[in-house]
Amino acid sequence: MSTSRAFAPALVLLLLAALIPVFVTANTVLNFIVFTLIIALAAQGWNLLGGLCGQFSFGHAAFFGSGAYAAALLQARYGVNAWAAFTAAIAFAALVGWIIGYLSFRSGLRGSYFALVTLAFAEVFRILANASAFTGGAAGTLIKLDIRPENFQFASRAAFVWIALALVGFTLLLTTAITRSRLGAWFAAVRENEDAARALGVDTLAVKLKAITLSAGITGAAGALYVQYYLYLDANIAYGSWISIEALIAPIIGGIGTPLGPIVGAVTLHGLGELTKLFASGIPGIDLVIYGALLVTAIAFAPDGMMGLLKRLGRGQVTPRTTTPKTTAAKTTTPKTEGAA
Amino acid sequence: MIRTTELSRRTLLTTAAIGGAATIAMPGLLRAQAPAIKVGILQPVTGALAYDGQQGQIGAEAAIKAINEAGGIKSMGGAKLQMVFGDARSTPEGGTAEVERMQAEGVVAIVGGFASPICLAASQAAARYDLPYIVDVGVADSIVTRGLKNTFRFGPGFGTVTKTALDNLSKLNDAAGKPAKTVVLVHEDGLFGSGMAKLMQAELPKRGFEVLDTIAHPTPSRDMSNVALQIRAKNPDLVIPSSYYGEFALLARTMQQQRIRPKGIYAVLNGAASNFRFVKEFQEAAQFVMDCNHWHDPRKPVAEALRKQVEASGKFWTYNIPLNYSCVQLLADALETAGSGDKAKLTAALMASTFAGHIMPYGPTKFVNGQNEGGAPVNTQVQGADIKVIFPTDFADAKPVFPVPA
Repeated sequence: MSTSRAFAPALVLLLLAALIPVFVTANTVLNFIVFTLIIALAAQGWNLLGGLCGQFSFGHAAFFGSGAYAAALLQARYGVNAWAAFTAAIAFAALVGWIIGYLSFRSGLRGSYFALVTLAFAEVFRILANASAFTGGAAGTLIKLDIRPENFQFASRAAFVWIALALVGFTLLLTTAITRSRLGAWFAAVRENEDAARALGVDTLAVKLKAITLSAGITGAAGALYVQYYLYLDANIAYGSWISIEALIAPIIGGIGTPLGPIVGAVTLHGLGELTKLFASGIPGIDLVIYGALLVTAIAFAPDGMMGLLKRLGRGQVTPRTTTPKTTAAKTTTPKTEGAA
Repeated sequence: MIRTTELSRRTLLTTAAIGGAATIAMPGLLRAQAPAIKVGILQPVTGALAYDGQQGQIGAEAAIKAINEAGGIKSMGGAKLQMVFGDARSTPEGGTAEVERMQAEGVVAIVGGFASPICLAASQAAARYDLPYIVDVGVADSIVTRGLKNTFRFGPGFGTVTKTALDNLSKLNDAAGKPAKTVVLVHEDGLFGSGMAKLMQAELPKRGFEVLDTIAHPTPSRDMSNVALQIRAKNPDLVIPSSYYGEFALLARTMQQQRIRPKGIYAVLNGAASNFRFVKEFQEAAQFVMDCNHWHDPRKPVAEALRKQVEASGKFWTYNIPLNYSCVQLLADALETAGSGDKAKLTAALMASTFAGHIMPYGPTKFVNGQNEGGAPVNTQVQGADIKVIFPTDFADAKPVFPVPA
């Protein structure tokens, strides 16, 4: 695939999305877009490690929370400029990712063991953040509301849409570039068969560390953006299991291992959630029931995600495909998306 | 076969369309009678805090109904209040999203939030539009120390509640001849439990109590046997629990089963101790449990009438109901003074409010930096099948039973 063809869909999508705030001024919609983009960014982080490199994490909250806390505490406690704090937060989350990666990959943890250890890290962080006075304990940390662009706070929600979009767009281009690069090939090699990759001379530890560091940095950026947008953080928001689940379910729905998957997944999931809320406002919680039912249907008809479904629709293969037991979700998506790699 | 299905679907669609049109037309008719004032009611009615949210909603709805039946806002030509309800989903971002929607729908103010994180985020989102926000419960003191001009808290904050609780504990103990000297603190490890325990550890020794142990437990916890055993081992005179409903009900039951009988159980802002559900379901375990919490003013007939009405509908009476009822009343009073739904005028009216017609034991409202200075908790005790007020003495409807008879 040529370079222009590989990047074209991403660029068109970004341009279209960037135009939304020009035409839509309703803050309800903009608020929804910002939140969805934050989730998409966290999910992109997960996708880089889980989708491209095959290391399934259940604890991306550890990175989301570290980024969020770093951004919040640097501002609230040390009066660091919000933009500097945001950059530092991404670096800090990446460092946390590297450390967790080093500890678990060095110990040879793979598959479900790696998933469990990430979950444990996130939980430990949650308990520590909840108990420590430094993080504000259970009372959480507040960033002072002071709407000035130099404080990374804007009167218009559109500004946040563009910043979130820029981050999501950058990650999208980065992920696309990685899938086309040598690093992407190493990631794929580790994902498909780690032992074979090592036998062929791939330094699997270094490759996996690169993946988790990048992944943590991206998800940490989502956390820092969250706290910058809502200006309040506590241990359950930062390190709660909700974000770990959001970060992994969006790529699963959207299409694991595809650059666009996490974004499509987050938009589909949250869009469905909002739509059901719109049409079923009478009984509290009924929208969640409809949402759940739609989710089950979506997975039944698109076991390899929305991206897989779109591809199949494009080929005119409309009927629900029966997956053979041997093909896992990760494996079925890879050959289609990694055409160049 | 196909034809039949199509026909029935068509019939269904027609019926739905007529029904839908009727529903849409109805408020239109009402609006033609009097210009409605939209009031945002924000409560977490799904997720972890659903029960509290639903209780708060009962109070707010009852107040709106009562105000409308009494002729609406008179200074605005008898305009009726119209509820715009938002489900905060027990999360701060859920609350923020609903504030945006309410603002888009043109509410004049928002009441509610329940949990501190939701109140913090939602009031901040409302501050972007200078939209008045009345906090119903949210006890974190940071809610009113941020300098937000739009945020008002009608009830007492954490600091006031704990200070009152400690003062009343000293009074109670002194009056009984100081039978209690040792204390075990049991607390949930979240926002309010840990904060409370820390404060108690610092303050209790100053008042002559010895803290023997501090036991933390997570929420939710499904078994409190270990906590009960630890209490038994320490054998304290007093147990001070700060937990949510499920955990405290479980602890009280476990202590009853294991015959652990301290001289008193003195809860602060407890989820169960002043909840009729607890009293009804576990009356024996609940007996003589004391609590320092939000509570309605038993001297006010409106409060008692509301309680009867709620209980008649098969619901339990909790503090969320009178608090939200009063917050909506407070808003209606401010609307009456402002004579318009203009945000700036309404905020000014709330700031200067001296509203005394509410059903809480606070006296006229007086807001300083958004905090109602008169807001104060009361001490309750479960006696028989009822929850009685034991402090403050000027409107207590029962004498405290302390130490608890063995």
